[in-house]
Amino acid sequence: MQEKKLTALIKGTLFIIWKMPSPMLQRLKGFSYSLILLFVLGSFQKKEMDSTLSIQFRAYVHGVPLELNKKYQNPFGETFEITRFRFYAGKLAPVYTNANFKSKIPSHYHLIDFSDSATTRIELPVTAGIIYNGIQFQMGIDSADQNRGAQSGALDPAKGMFWTWNSGYINIKMEGNSPFSTQPAHIFEYHIGGYRNNYNTVWQIKLYSTNDQSFMISKEKKILIEIGMDLDYLFDGPTPIHIREIPSCMKPGELARKISENFIGTFTGLTISPNP
Amino acid sequence: MKSLAAITFIGFFCVIWTNIPFPFPVPEGFPSPIYKFQNNPRTREGFELGRKLFYDGLLSKDGNFPCSSCHQQFAAFATYEHRLSHGFNDQFSFRNAPGLFNLAWKKELDWDGGINHIEVQPLAPLLDPHEMAEDLNHVISKMKKDKTYPVLFNRVFGSPGISSQRILKALAQFTASLVSADSRYDKMKRGEVHFNQYELKGYEIFQQKCSRCHQEPLFTDFSYRNTGLEVDSTLKDFGRMRITGRKEDSIKFQVPSLRNVFLTYPYAHDGRFVTISEVLEHYNSGVVQGPTLDSGLRKGISISSDDRFYLIYFLETLTDSSFIKNPLYADPAMGVRNEAPAHLH
Repeated sequence: MQEKKLTALIKGTLFIIWKMPSPMLQRLKGFSYSLILLFVLGSFQKKEMDSTLSIQFRAYVHGVPLELNKKYQNPFGETFEITRFRFYAGKLAPVYTNANFKSKIPSHYHLIDFSDSATTRIELPVTAGIIYNGIQFQMGIDSADQNRGAQSGALDPAKGMFWTWNSGYINIKMEGNSPFSTQPAHIFEYHIGGYRNNYNTVWQIKLYSTNDQSFMISKEKKILIEIGMDLDYLFDGPTPIHIREIPSCMKPGELARKISENFIGTFTGLTISPNP
Repeated sequence: MKSLAAITFIGFFCVIWTNIPFPFPVPEGFPSPIYKFQNNPRTREGFELGRKLFYDGLLSKDGNFPCSSCHQQFAAFATYEHRLSHGFNDQFSFRNAPGLFNLAWKKELDWDGGINHIEVQPLAPLLDPHEMAEDLNHVISKMKKDKTYPVLFNRVFGSPGISSQRILKALAQFTASLVSADSRYDKMKRGEVHFNQYELKGYEIFQQKCSRCHQEPLFTDFSYRNTGLEVDSTLKDFGRMRITGRKEDSIKFQVPSLRNVFLTYPYAHDGRFVTISEVLEHYNSGVVQGPTLDSGLRKGISISSDDRFYLIYFLETLTDSSFIKNPLYADPAMGVRNEAPAHLH
């Protein structure tokens, strides 16, 4: 839709220049030729991404789809409910079966927020007719993107995912409550971030379908890929996290790095289905 | 469609015409700045919007704490005569407010260097419940209801809309423009004035005893150092360690610039020293030993009372009176103040 508007706008502009009566405006015609050239070049580039792939993040606890403010039990028998759950996924792209095939990986980030279902689904521009077998993305904001000053969109600090006194984005924010938490009002809060030195919480993730399926996207036949997350592994990961012992993590450091390692273990694989 | 295109063209030229480029002058002898207004081209309108924001209480929860409440021009944008600054609901800030000048040369900001970019710096005081105690979305909604802000943002950024990014970029246009390079010292360097014999002697002593960390021309090397200050038991401030989490960084703070040092008292990260003499005496006799103490301070710095006499003469030459009286940096609604106003809290 936007593209159509743009095309119309350029056509309109060219039309105006064409109809300009004064011979003095000959030079502008040269300018408009270059505009046409740019537009043609632009449309060639566009051709590369001629279809879309739908990606849906879906979180489960103990095999049950996650709902906020609902009681669950973690693998250590601790009951808990999650009130807020967000994380950054960026540079999302499909993985090609042919390793030699290279394409530009988008540089932007998505804030996946489970209180807003629209944000858990991403429409990714892709090239039709190529065989893919997985999805790759970056969990968290890398150091280059942490140092760009005031940003917008998913990285707008008004999203509440930015530490002000120790500049940096919170890559994962999980908040909730549990009778096992020793904190006031039994809350637990994991604000996981950090990109400096040994406390990097940013991970590159490649996921393949659970049964090694590969897939091709055509212009007509669209595909939906579900990225499953099993939140049990957030607690029962390489570093066991008992809410009773670790009810909070609020700053970059060794603990944040360990929790981020648990977190990437929650991505269990892809489920591929035709997208109606 | 024709008219839409025409409007686009006219709009495009209007942006070019109204936003006058505003070149950033790098003072003679200064290194190239870190912040070069990349992705935030400096314009007179952008600078003026940033200046208005800096002086506007609307950015604080109760309206009483604009940036300028703790960063006062007559004190080289530090808080005049306050160990710690005052914020929302009669609370104190965590640290002494530093003077704001030559910020475009800083890679990392704040006493512990925790802030990685000048554009995101204002977020710290803005959202701190002890300082301005605000919320970004609330500030934006207040500005949208204001009569002038929507017009000003539209003019500066070429399209309507107020966002945190635009607020921060406009503020950076102002704060990064605060350049102090016209002190008596600078005039001496440029050959416009000559130091008297006291100042000369003080300069000599300074170069021998102080300039290892307070390097010219910015009078800091921007490093983090433990200068042998005892940790205050109520503040429990371990400086740089809070940022890096490394034991080696315990009680280290960024070396502050000595420019305008006569105006920015009290001194040190918690404002524990009221006078320059006290600071000099600390180096002479008060350095507390510790594992992270700066290697050059193991034996302190011997500063005799004669040295102190001359050093103070020299340090006074670092006061930039044209900076603190520059109407360009003053409150657009009030003009330049020459001294602390009577109602100052």
